[in-house]
Amino acid sequence: MITIKGLHKSFGNLEVLKGIDATVEKGEVVCLIGASGSGKSTLLRCVNGLETYEQGAIDVHGRRVRAEDASIRDIRTRVTMVFQRFNLFPHRTALQNITEGPIFVKGEPRAEAEAHGMALLARMNLADKADAYPEQLSGGQQQRVAIARALAMRPEAILFDEPTSALDPELVGEVLAAMRALAEEGMTMLVVTHEMGFAREVADRVLFMSGGRIVEQGPAAELLSNPQHERTRDFLSRILSPM
Amino acid sequence: MNKFLQDAQDYLPILLQGAVTTAGIAFCALVIATLFGLVLALMRYSGIGVLSWTARSFVNIVRGIPILVQLFYIYFVLPDFGIDLTAFQAGAIGLGIAYSCYMAENFRAGLEAVDKGQVEAAQSIGMSWVLTMRRVVLPQAFRTVLPPYGNTMIMLLKDTSQASVITVAEITFQGKMLAASTFENMTVYTLVAGLYLAFSVPLFLLASYLERRFGKK
Repeated sequence: MITIKGLHKSFGNLEVLKGIDATVEKGEVVCLIGASGSGKSTLLRCVNGLETYEQGAIDVHGRRVRAEDASIRDIRTRVTMVFQRFNLFPHRTALQNITEGPIFVKGEPRAEAEAHGMALLARMNLADKADAYPEQLSGGQQQRVAIARALAMRPEAILFDEPTSALDPELVGEVLAAMRALAEEGMTMLVVTHEMGFAREVADRVLFMSGGRIVEQGPAAELLSNPQHERTRDFLSRILSPM
Repeated sequence: MNKFLQDAQDYLPILLQGAVTTAGIAFCALVIATLFGLVLALMRYSGIGVLSWTARSFVNIVRGIPILVQLFYIYFVLPDFGIDLTAFQAGAIGLGIAYSCYMAENFRAGLEAVDKGQVEAAQSIGMSWVLTMRRVVLPQAFRTVLPPYGNTMIMLLKDTSQASVITVAEITFQGKMLAASTFENMTVYTLVAGLYLAFSVPLFLLASYLERRFGKK
C-alpha cells in the first residue's frame, strides 16, 4: 500500500536519507526503530508530504507523494498522522479537534461528523472529555484525542511519529493500548517508536534504521531477539539495558 | 475658571465637529490598516519568495518615511498623476497605509508565535493553506495579537492629528484655527487634549476587555 523506492533526502549538505527502500502492505503494522538522528522521523514525514525529497519515489496506492503537488492533500486524508507532541488545536475542544477534518476538509454534515467523533472518543475511553480543551487533558488523553482525530478521516493507514516519547512514563501504557487495539482491528500502521515491547508484541515487521539507511528488517520477534547486523545488536543492547 | 467654562461653551461645538472628523478618519484608517496589514503579514508568512519579498520591501519603505511626508505626498503629489483625493480621503488612505505596516508587523509576530506543529497537524488531515490559516493559525494568532493591536489602534487615533497639515478639519486642525483667532491657547488646547483622552480612554478599556475576554490566559 505504501511503497518507498530509492529515497534520498538532504537538509542542506547533510544527507539524512541515503536510499531507502521499504513497503507497508495493507493491514500491516510496521515499526521503524533506530537511534535519534538515524532518519526515521524524516522518513515518516516524507511519507506524509511534510518534507520534500530529492530522489526516489514514495507511492501510496500507486499515487506519487510529493509535498509540492496539490494531490498531496487528498493523499493526506487517506494516510493521516499522529505526532510526538500531539499538536491538538488548543482553541478547540476534544470533539471539535476530531470533527475539524471531516467537516471542513471532507465536507461531512456536522451531525454525522459529531456522531462519528463521539464514537471515536468512546473507543478511546474519552467519551466524558468531548467538551474539554486540550490544556485540560493529560498528555495520554491528548494523544488519544489525536489518534481519534487521525481516525476521524477514515484513513487507510496512520503514521505515528514517536507517539509516546513526550509522555510521562505512567501515561505511555494507555496510548500503546489504544494503538494495539487499532492494530488488532486491522489498521495499517507505520510507527516510529522506541517502545520495543510494543514493537515485539504488535508489529508484523520491524525496520531498523541507522545513518540514513535501513540496515536490517524482518519479523518483529526475529529481528528483536536475534538481530543479524552488528549495529542492530548494538542499538538493541543499549536500549534494553541503558545502564 | 468661569471664563474657561464660558469659552469652553463657545469652542466645544466647533471642536466636536472636529471630533466627528477625527473619529471618521481614525475608523477608515483602522479598517484599511487592519485589512491591508493582514494581507501583508500573510504574504510574508506564506513563505513564497516573491510575495514575502514584496511585502517586506513595502513595509520597510513605508516605515522608513515619516507619516507627515507620506500625507504630503498623497495629497500634493498624486494629483500630478491624475489622482485627486479630498483631504479626508488622502488622510484616511495615508494613515491607513502607514499603519498597515505597523499592523503587518504585529500580525506577523502573532502568526509566527503559532507553533509550527499546528500547521503540520492541519496539513496532516488534508487542510489547504487557506483552510489552515482560517481554522487553525489565525484564531490562535488573534489572541497573541490583541494587546499590540489595541496599542497600535490608540497610536493611530492620536496620529490622526497629523492629518491637520493637509487641511483635514479634525480636532487638532479646528483647535489650531480657534487658537489662532482667539489667542485662548490654554483653553483651546486643554479642550483638544481632553477630547483626545475622551477617545483613547474608552479604547484602552475596550482593549483590556478584549484581552481578558479572548486573550491568552
